[in-house]
Formats: sequence, structure tokens, C-alpha cells
Amino acid sequence: MIINLLSRAITMSTPLFFGSVSEVVAERSGVMVTAIEGIFLLGAWGGFVGTYLWGNAIFGLLLAMICGIAVAAIYGVVTIFMKQHQVVTGTALNILAIGFCAFFQRVLFGIPQIPLQIQPLSVIPIPILSEIPVLGELFFNKNILTYVAYVIIPIIHYMLYHTSLGLAIRSSGENPQAADVAGINVNRLRFLTVLFAGMMGGIAGAFYSVGFLGMFTTNMIGGRGWIAFAICFLGNWQITGAVIGTFVFGLAEALAIYMQSIGGGGFFPNELFIAFPYILTIVLTVMRRNFSVPANLGIPYIKEG
Amino acid sequence: MKRILNATWRDMVLTNFAAIVAGIVLSGALLLFLGIDPIFVFSTSIRAILTDGYTAADILLKATPLIMTALAFAFTYKANLFNIGAQGQFYMGAIAAIWLSLELQNRIPTALLLLIVLIVALAAGALIGGLIGFLKERFDSNEFLVSMMSSYVVLALMNYLLRTFLKETKGEYPQTDPIARSAWLPNLIKGTRLHYGFIISVLFAVLIWVLLYKTTLGFRIRAVGQNSRASALSGISPTKIYVIAFLISGALAGVAGFTEMNGVQHMLIQDFNPEMGAAGLGIAILANANPIGIIFASILYGALNVIGTQMGRIPGANVPSSIVSLMQGFVMLFVIMAYYARTKIASRREKNKRKREAALS
Repeated sequence: MIINLLSRAITMSTPLFFGSVSEVVAERSGVMVTAIEGIFLLGAWGGFVGTYLWGNAIFGLLLAMICGIAVAAIYGVVTIFMKQHQVVTGTALNILAIGFCAFFQRVLFGIPQIPLQIQPLSVIPIPILSEIPVLGELFFNKNILTYVAYVIIPIIHYMLYHTSLGLAIRSSGENPQAADVAGINVNRLRFLTVLFAGMMGGIAGAFYSVGFLGMFTTNMIGGRGWIAFAICFLGNWQITGAVIGTFVFGLAEALAIYMQSIGGGGFFPNELFIAFPYILTIVLTVMRRNFSVPANLGIPYIKEG
Repeated sequence: MKRILNATWRDMVLTNFAAIVAGIVLSGALLLFLGIDPIFVFSTSIRAILTDGYTAADILLKATPLIMTALAFAFTYKANLFNIGAQGQFYMGAIAAIWLSLELQNRIPTALLLLIVLIVALAAGALIGGLIGFLKERFDSNEFLVSMMSSYVVLALMNYLLRTFLKETKGEYPQTDPIARSAWLPNLIKGTRLHYGFIISVLFAVLIWVLLYKTTLGFRIRAVGQNSRASALSGISPTKIYVIAFLISGALAGVAGFTEMNGVQHMLIQDFNPEMGAAGLGIAILANANPIGIIFASILYGALNVIGTQMGRIPGANVPSSIVSLMQGFVMLFVIMAYYARTKIASRREKNKRKREAALS
């Protein structure tokens, strides 16, 4: 049972991983992507639509990325180039995303008699590795997105801490004036990290529709984008912190699903488990100390002269 | 100086007006995707508003709770704090209002009941808001995240209560029993749904304006918002201001729960008004967080809402209800862009002025 729970935790942490790690990259460059909830939602919708219309999850994932990038592009233009408030802009885009998905769901599919279904991504057991006792079940019996996550964790980590691109990103968030003097186009770099967050957030959203439930509703994200946002913060803007955070929240979600399935042991109400990840966020936010916030996080960079 | 002030006023009106029109036109254009004639549905629904008092009054009815949630966001915003959890505080107020109304109805006079329910709903919202402020003061925890998450927790609490203690006596749906007529907020205009909650909201807006701009507390709140370090040096404790600002902010959102329960819905239904908090934020931004401006911006949002609902009622047109969030989202986005346009216009004006002065000397 514990193995089952942990395995499920890894599955449930996959989308949070995509969302929070890319949020770390964007925030290290100085931009909070507060449109993340809307990016997740549009990703979920794009994933569903692509898969449904073209009958192949690859197209769904592609469309999810495009949708995520589109939201991120609007967000980036308004916050980075127009220098408007990040929290406020994000809220506007999150509302717009709900309206947009509901509206175009109607445009494309009308009002269907029965809820539309797609085939969720299938689990691909990795030969040999999946046969290892315990570990095989835990790590190598997942859908493709989880494997992609395994591959990109080290890549993003390496990129952020060991390449000149990573240095440029981090210095844009810490000291954009100095980065500018060093010849980095701060705003363009920030815009690119936001687009990256949009792409990854789109995949994260698609995980819920294409990878998991095989359907789409406008309330299916239900704050998961915000949890990814919180994980970036709780993980102290570090890739390793975010990875640990996603696992903790994946576990919380897996536990919530498990407890609901056994009826809360007849004692606790289901709603408590539904609220559990959010309560956990509050508790961790309150307990967390000694943050190293990127010095220029949330502050638009205005070139002098 | 006066001329510049007038010019910025004109900019503000013109750019915001352009933003609102652009938002409406763009969402209208999207209706073409559904093969709906936007001009027809817009003119039909606007005609309905102009000719039918009941529909027109609905605009103010919809504006009523929005004024309160917008004030809730604006109040903390003035202290440079973010209360993103107005939705949860609003639900908390609604839970308190409906529970107390069901308990007290037909036992005490209406006026007394409404007064008690108002105060308790206000306190319920203030409890959640105050808790967020307290965590910020005590543990320096990020109020943005905590308030955001608190909404989801309150939502779960509400669903739990609707499934158990507050569930209707028929026991069929997750909703409460309707409250008795004697516990309703009285009608403001006969033959419409508009109730005294609108007056309450407007009074609160005026009250908050006075509090912010005419009292020492308001001065301190704004001082902390502008520069918390400087105000700490001058003897204002920013942490104390955090708690007070969040208490009041939560209280304001809680009142919206009261006006919706006792004024409009008369019962608590699962997942009602899910965008009250976010729309309030949009309105506060549109009004530049000015309490009096919020009244008018809320009426605008109320109008968008009623226009959307009216379109949905046109027989044969099949306008989806998502048009409302599309309109509100686009208007909000364009209003944010209008801020940018204003800074551009202002800086160009400044440049021209300098050029003119240089030419004269």
C-alpha cells in the first residue's frame, strides 16, 4: 500500500514539477508568472482539444504547449515590456482563461449530450527497469510525461547553475543593472524565461486532461497552478527545493485521493483531504524561514537614459 | 499645474473608456465564431435594460457585492499588501449570514436580525482576514500565498457544511434551506430585485474613503503602502498596520456575503458566485483603488454581467454564459494596458513641454 501511495505521489507530482521548476527559472530572472493558473488551464484545454480532434496525444501536447506559450506571451508583453503589475495582470489572464476555454469549448463541441472523453496517456513500463522490485513500480511504470520530467530535472539544474545562460538568468533577477552593463538584454531574457514557463505550464495543464482524467472541465485545475507557484517559493527558488516540494505536494495529493477512496476512515470528512494541499501550503509558508528571494523579483527593469 | 491635472484626468477617462469599449467589442467579435450576430444580441440586451426597470435594477444588484470585494482588495492594496483571498472571506460571511439567519428568523424583529447578521458576517470575514494579517505580522509569512490558499480552504469548509450541518431538510442537494421572508433585506425599489444591500455597499465605500483619506489610521495605512521602512522610522508600526488592514479588508468581503445571502439568494448553494474575489480585484484596479471610483466601476461590471445574462436569454441565439467572464477578462486586461498608455502619453507631454520651454528660452 505504501508503495502504491508513493508511486501515485510521483505521478501526481509530475505536473507540479513542470509548473514549479519553470516558475523557478522565470522567477530567478526576475518575473513572477502569476498567470500560471491560467496557463495550466489553457494547457489542459489545448491538450484535450488537440488529442480529441486529431486522435493523437502528441498533437494534444503540442497544442497545450502553444496555448501555454500564448498566455505567457501576453503576460510577458504586459508585465515586462509594458511594465504593469504582475499580480494584477496574472489575475486578469486567469479570469480570461476561464472564459476563453469555456467559450471555445462551446464553439468547437457545442453542448454535447454526454461528456467528451479521450484516451488518457497510457502507462509505458520501461523494459527491465520496471521489473526491479519496488523501484520499478515507483519510478518506471509511468506515462511519458513523468519520464520527460526525469530527463529535464538535471538538464534544467545544469542550465541554471552551470552555464552562462543560467548565470545571465540569475543575474537578471539579482542585479539587472549589472546584467545590462555586462551586455545582457534583460527584458528579452526575462521574456524568454516567461515563454519557457508558459510552455512547461501548458504541459503541466495537459497532464490533468490528457495524462490523467481523459476529459476537460473548466474547474479541473482548481488551484494546482497556484500550488506550483507556491512550491517555487517554498523551495527557496532552487531547482532541488522545487523538486522536493513537488514530491511533498504530490504525496499530499496522493494521500488525499487515497483517504477519499477509503471514505476518510469513516471519521474525517473528504473535504478535509481536498483542502489538505492548500492547508499544507499555508502551514509551510508560515513555517518557512530565511528565504533568499531574487533581489529584483517582481520589479520591472527600466533601462536608464 | 492645474492644466496638467486636467490633462491627466482626461487621459484617464479616455484611455479607460477606450479599454472598456475594446474589451466589449473583442468579446462581441468572438460571438461570430458561434454564428451569432453580436450587434443584434448586444442591442437586444441593451434595449431590454433600457426599457425594463427590473433588468436595469439588476445592474445595481450585481454591483452590490462587487463593491465590497473590490473595497476589500483596494484597502490592503493601499498598504501595499495583497488580499487575494476575498473570495474565501466572502464565502465565510455568507456561511455566517445564512446560518445565523436560519437560527434567528421569526424569533426576533427583522431590523434587529439584519443588524446582528450584518455584524456577524462582517466579523466572520474579518476573522479570516485578520488571521492572514496575524500570520504576516507574527511570522512574516507571504500574505499573497496565504490569502490565496485560504480561499480554497474556506471553499472546502463550505462544501463540508453544506453536506452536513447546513444541508437542507429535504436532504437532497448540497444547499441550505431558504431563509424566511422576514429575514430578507427589504426591497429598495418595488417590482425589482434591488435591495437595501446596495445602500449598505455605497455607505461602506464612502466610509472607507473617509477612513483612508481623512483619518490618521488611513494616513498611516497609505504611508506604510508607500514606504514601509520610512514609516517605521517615523514611528508607525508596519506590522500593526498589516493586521488592521487585513482585518478591515476581510470584514468588507464578509459583508458581501451578507448582502448576497439576505438580499438576493436567500439560501446558500454550492459553488455560487465563484468569481466574486477576482472580479473585485479587477474593479479595484479599474478604479485605481479609489473607494468612490469603485462604486462606478462595480456598476460597470454589473452592467457587463446583466448584458451577458440578457444575451443568454434571447430565444434562439444561444449565447453561452462564458461571455461574461470573457468580457470581464478582456476589459480588465485592456484597462491594465491603459495604465501603460497613460504613462506613455504623460511622458510624451512632458517631453513636448520641455522642448517648448527650450525653444522659448
